[in-house]
Amino acid sequence: MTTKSLYKSFIIEEYQLEEEPYYVPIGDEVELFEAAYKQKLPLIFKGPTGCGKTRFVEYMSYKLGAELTKVLKNEADDSAVNLPLVTIACHEDLTGSDLVGRYLLEGDQTVWLDGPLTRAVKAGGICYLDEVVEARKDTTVLIHPLTDHRRILPIEKRGELLQAADGFLLILSYNPGYQSALKDLKHSTRQRFVSIEFDYPPIDLEAQIVEHEAGVDKDTAYQLAKLGAKVRNLKEHGLGEGASTRLLIYAGQLMAQGIAPRRACQVSVNWAITDDHSLQQSITEIISSIFE
Amino acid sequence: MTDKLKVLKHLLPELEKFPVPVKDNFNKAIVEMPDALSDEQTSDWLKRGIAIAGQTVRSWEAAAHFFQVSPNVISSMPYSYFVRWMECGASLCEESPTLAAAYFEASPATMSKLRSRHIESWAGLGDGLYKGTWKSSTLACRFFAESSTLLESLSFQQLENFANFLDALSHRSYDLSSECLTLGEQIFPLVGDDKDAFLSLATTLVDTGWREVKSFFEAGAKALPKIHPEERMRFLKLAESLVNNGGTNIPGTMLDISQSLSLLEEDNHHIVLGFAEALLDEEPLAMPEFIKSAPIILEKLTILQLGRWYQEGVNTLSQNRDGGLAFFKIESSHSEAVIETLSSGIEFDRIKPVMEMYCRALAGAEIKLSPTDALVEKNIGWVSNESPTTEGSTVFVPTLVDRYGTKEENYAWFKVVSTHQVAHLEFGSFIFEFERESGLFENLRLDLEARRIKALRENQNNEPVVGDDIADSDSPGNELNESHTGLERAWLTDMQRFFDLFEDRKLALDIFTVVEDGRLDARVKNEYPGIKSSYNQVQSDSHENRPDIKELPAREAMVEFMVRLSLQQYEGVVAPSKYNKEASQVAQIARRVLVSDATVEDTAEATLRIYAIISAVPNEEIPPDDWNDMDFDDEDDEDYVDPEDMENLLQQIGMGMEMELRPEGEEEYESIQEVEYRGDFKPELAQLMTELRMQQQDEMGQSQGEPLTQEQLQELLENSAELDLQATEGEIQESSGMFADNIMKEAGANMPQSPDDSQGPFVHVDEEGGELEPAEPETFVYDEWDFRAEDYKPRWCVVRQKMMQEGDTAYFGATLNEYSTLVTRIRRQFEMMVPEMFRKERKLIDGEDIDIDDVIENMVDIKTGSSPDEKFYWRRNKVQRDVAVAFLLDTSASTAEAIDEGKNKQDDWDAPDDPVEYMVWLRTRRGEQMRRSYKRIIDMEKESMVLLINALEAIGDTYGIYGFSGYGRENVEFYTIKDLHENFSDKVKRRIDRIAPLHATRMGPAIRHAAYKLDKTDARTKILFLISDGRPQDRGYSREGVEKEYAVHDTKKALDEAKRQGINSFCLTVDKNGHDYLKTMCSDMGYEILDDINDLPERLLVLYRRLTM
Repeated sequence: MTTKSLYKSFIIEEYQLEEEPYYVPIGDEVELFEAAYKQKLPLIFKGPTGCGKTRFVEYMSYKLGAELTKVLKNEADDSAVNLPLVTIACHEDLTGSDLVGRYLLEGDQTVWLDGPLTRAVKAGGICYLDEVVEARKDTTVLIHPLTDHRRILPIEKRGELLQAADGFLLILSYNPGYQSALKDLKHSTRQRFVSIEFDYPPIDLEAQIVEHEAGVDKDTAYQLAKLGAKVRNLKEHGLGEGASTRLLIYAGQLMAQGIAPRRACQVSVNWAITDDHSLQQSITEIISSIFE
Repeated sequence: MTDKLKVLKHLLPELEKFPVPVKDNFNKAIVEMPDALSDEQTSDWLKRGIAIAGQTVRSWEAAAHFFQVSPNVISSMPYSYFVRWMECGASLCEESPTLAAAYFEASPATMSKLRSRHIESWAGLGDGLYKGTWKSSTLACRFFAESSTLLESLSFQQLENFANFLDALSHRSYDLSSECLTLGEQIFPLVGDDKDAFLSLATTLVDTGWREVKSFFEAGAKALPKIHPEERMRFLKLAESLVNNGGTNIPGTMLDISQSLSLLEEDNHHIVLGFAEALLDEEPLAMPEFIKSAPIILEKLTILQLGRWYQEGVNTLSQNRDGGLAFFKIESSHSEAVIETLSSGIEFDRIKPVMEMYCRALAGAEIKLSPTDALVEKNIGWVSNESPTTEGSTVFVPTLVDRYGTKEENYAWFKVVSTHQVAHLEFGSFIFEFERESGLFENLRLDLEARRIKALRENQNNEPVVGDDIADSDSPGNELNESHTGLERAWLTDMQRFFDLFEDRKLALDIFTVVEDGRLDARVKNEYPGIKSSYNQVQSDSHENRPDIKELPAREAMVEFMVRLSLQQYEGVVAPSKYNKEASQVAQIARRVLVSDATVEDTAEATLRIYAIISAVPNEEIPPDDWNDMDFDDEDDEDYVDPEDMENLLQQIGMGMEMELRPEGEEEYESIQEVEYRGDFKPELAQLMTELRMQQQDEMGQSQGEPLTQEQLQELLENSAELDLQATEGEIQESSGMFADNIMKEAGANMPQSPDDSQGPFVHVDEEGGELEPAEPETFVYDEWDFRAEDYKPRWCVVRQKMMQEGDTAYFGATLNEYSTLVTRIRRQFEMMVPEMFRKERKLIDGEDIDIDDVIENMVDIKTGSSPDEKFYWRRNKVQRDVAVAFLLDTSASTAEAIDEGKNKQDDWDAPDDPVEYMVWLRTRRGEQMRRSYKRIIDMEKESMVLLINALEAIGDTYGIYGFSGYGRENVEFYTIKDLHENFSDKVKRRIDRIAPLHATRMGPAIRHAAYKLDKTDARTKILFLISDGRPQDRGYSREGVEKEYAVHDTKKALDEAKRQGINSFCLTVDKNGHDYLKTMCSDMGYEILDDINDLPERLLVLYRRLTM
């Protein structure tokens, strides 16, 4: 290309994970995922925020990629082929062209730039649409042909029909809890997916996760997990969402940096999940019961 | 004697002229007259007597008295004074012989208490009271008669004052004056040294409010004894200055004040009165309020803190008089806040929301938090007002914790108490299962049960008396038979089955309680390290309140020993020397359950073993020297091992059966005192309640299962050691029956209410009084704004939310028919508002931003040489409907008013053409007219609602319709016709039919409640639509009962609050005179006054459309 490219076209390799993400399976989600991947069935992850949906996708993409590499290596190919993971955070202004791609002007030329979905389709990676209900309805229709046996992505602007590469898998995440009824997924969309439900891990596993992620000792991790469990009991009592594993890890990380436990929980758990004063006080009491 | 008579001989015939008593009395008197009198003096005496007798026709009576009392009188004074006495009598007699007679008659008794020099003054007092009328004469006579009694408690000076007071009062009313005279006799002894003050107060009162004088005397007689004798004077002074400052109802106030003072410790009277006196300078009327509030405040504050509260009140007073008054009445939030800040006590109400959430979080269940008295009121077996406890779904805690000097400590205690109770639920005290294995001990329960049944069978067979195999449970004397049936009967709960194993249930329960509490405490401390330090503190504080172990008989001492141990006292635990071995065994077993994976079943097994040991200890007195201290390590390495001989152990537990073998001198086992913070543990009852509740739920879900009968329940209760039932047979029946009833009720408490209850008769309750509590479900408490005090009256109104009763759907259809033309028009208009989803409009000439795609397209077009499209802007679509609206209908009595002009004519051309329809139409019309030939305001409201619903259903907005009315602040009725989230259904149609005028209009709380409902609703636009027919008004919805502004201001405040919550309010009223108050009420909100009520339906819809566009 003679003219200096003003728009960097991301190469698909940049989406590949270098290290194995930490993930502790809670149920049979790994097996389900593998089975679905082999059968090219698109997936929906349902579950509250911060319970590990995104981490799971990362983990699976690495895991499946690693297996893929092994297979290829056996065929005496040196290049490690990881499974690319394209994550798209959906928002209410997300349009079809944001996903598929658009023409850009470069000097006196128009240049086509692939959208993230297109890239994943071409490269045969996992495309993860986070919080998909936030996206506009017309974008969700866009993914329909990708999710059935056709596995095609029409690129209207270029008049192309893109056949998805072999490794391509579409995953949506969605949190049924907090959206209003208006923002529910259409049935025609939902019924194209296999649903895996996520919830916060049981207390022992959560403790293990917190311990690993936050780098705190076992006891503290367990106490944090207990705090999580107790606070989650208050869901439906003014708490929209319980304290997520992510928040517990934050608290643990603060503690690992030397912040006093009560204070750490206060700022990372209590104040993060509610603005209701009396509820905050209640949670403060729980924190002060659990932590010294 | 004869000498004297001789001297007087020439006078004696004079006496003959008068009726016989005169001479008789003279004859008696002359004998008693002192010998020392000279002849002259004697004859002077006689002459005066005769003179008195001769004054008027009736004066002989006075003379008779004169002679009668003379010897007595002269003996108490020198002759010179005697002369004066006689002169006074004579001059009184000139005024009125009756008066003189009374004077003479009263003299002997009075003279002994009167200094001789006061004789003339005294006579003068009586004389002064005499005004020549019959009534004044009675009063004066009575004054003389009562003088001697009065002088017992009054000095002469005071008597004079009293007489002056009587005189003054007699100008108003003789009867009153005379009654006060009588009351005076009772009251003066009580007044103490402050009679002057009392009298001067009384005299002042004559000028300011003489009608109250009598009640003042009566009140005084009741009030004064309640006050510290030294402070009575100050009390009276206070009352006096209150009078001087224009106070009203002084006697009532005095009673109130004295009542309050009597509630205080006497030492505090001095201080409180001191504040009260100082307060007089600031605002006299606040003084009584202050004293009345004092006992309430001193429950929460120390006397020093009271001073600070007082000071704050004075500050408030200086800024705002009404505010200050409300402050001292504790009717302002500020006042409460100050108390709260100063107080070291923890009040249940204040921390309930926080602690309830805390408990729910810990237990992971829908736990409620209630004060203990609520449980006692339910009367289901719990009797202690103080002890925290739980019955499986609610944690009961004390109303006020004021054990420590600081708030922090009290709070910590409260938290420990709540945590302990929740631990029962969290760590499963009540999920005990008889057959579930214990992890720490070998399971003996089933064995033991079998063994007991067998033993009892054998026992029974050996017994010749009972012929039948089935024991006759009606024979009360046969204890063995009783327990036999006890074991074999179907148990209701596993807990009951477990306790059935023991002969001495009380002992078993006590052991179980201690072991279980110990297990929970250990578990809590393990699970919640953060609370550990407060927990330890509370535990060690509990030691202080334990009974002296050395005074307990041995068996009780062993249990007490366990309690101490469970309270973490490991060193120097006192135990009877001769049972040291047993004690350490017990300790070993009990400590085994202190591990974190111990379950309630472990507790049960431990209980069995400990019971075996302790029940073998005879309950006898131990001499004071036979005790020693035992030490245990914090960590006990020695593990408890069951004895090799299990047979033996089982035997031991069974031992209790042979109760008859008790040694001599053994005492009945009495339950030991409970540990305060652990409260009242009733595992059997709690498990029962839990199970009953589940049963109740199952029943609703139509599941099978034999429901529990009243008899079974009663039997359980009678056997349980947890109830303190009366000992005699008949009463056990009675009280267990009552408990059983209540328990059944309690378990079924969540049954849906019958809608017929909704319009019950209202009870008149006085407006005075304090805050209200939402006692029942579906009641809500709101503050009320006092615009004079510029503060909220906290928790002042109770809103009772009820479902509107259901009527007939026909009304709905009929109304739609009636307005059919309007209906179609409106519906079309509303359908045009159908919400469009959020939409970005593209391809516009102008807009928020350029659309990059369109621009590029444009550029590409230019490049390719075709004519470009210049519309490449985009803009957000502004119309986004997300509306929630609450309609608040005034259903006060005034809406029953008829609308002036009949509307009948107009209706007639609505008649349908179709003959069949016409008949139907005609019938409804007739029916309608029979009922009511005119339309009322409420009818227009109802019709509007029908049209509104019809229109709103078209656009799909969230809407709720509520009616409000009420009677007094404790009865604000809030009727749900359609709830915000309820779907429109025939039910709603039926409810509309039943909207009817009710009582008064207390708008404030209704608005607050509607706002509260809206606030819980998620919508971008929230609207509160108030439809009323007049100004807000209600009993007590005012200040001093007159100011209409009070109601208006509260309503305004409520609307302001709603506005702050992001709710737009609009008032639509049909009151043509509404402008004056609506201007204030809705100063910056929309309001409209309808000139013609008939426009209501249409206007309402138009307004609604305008508001929500």
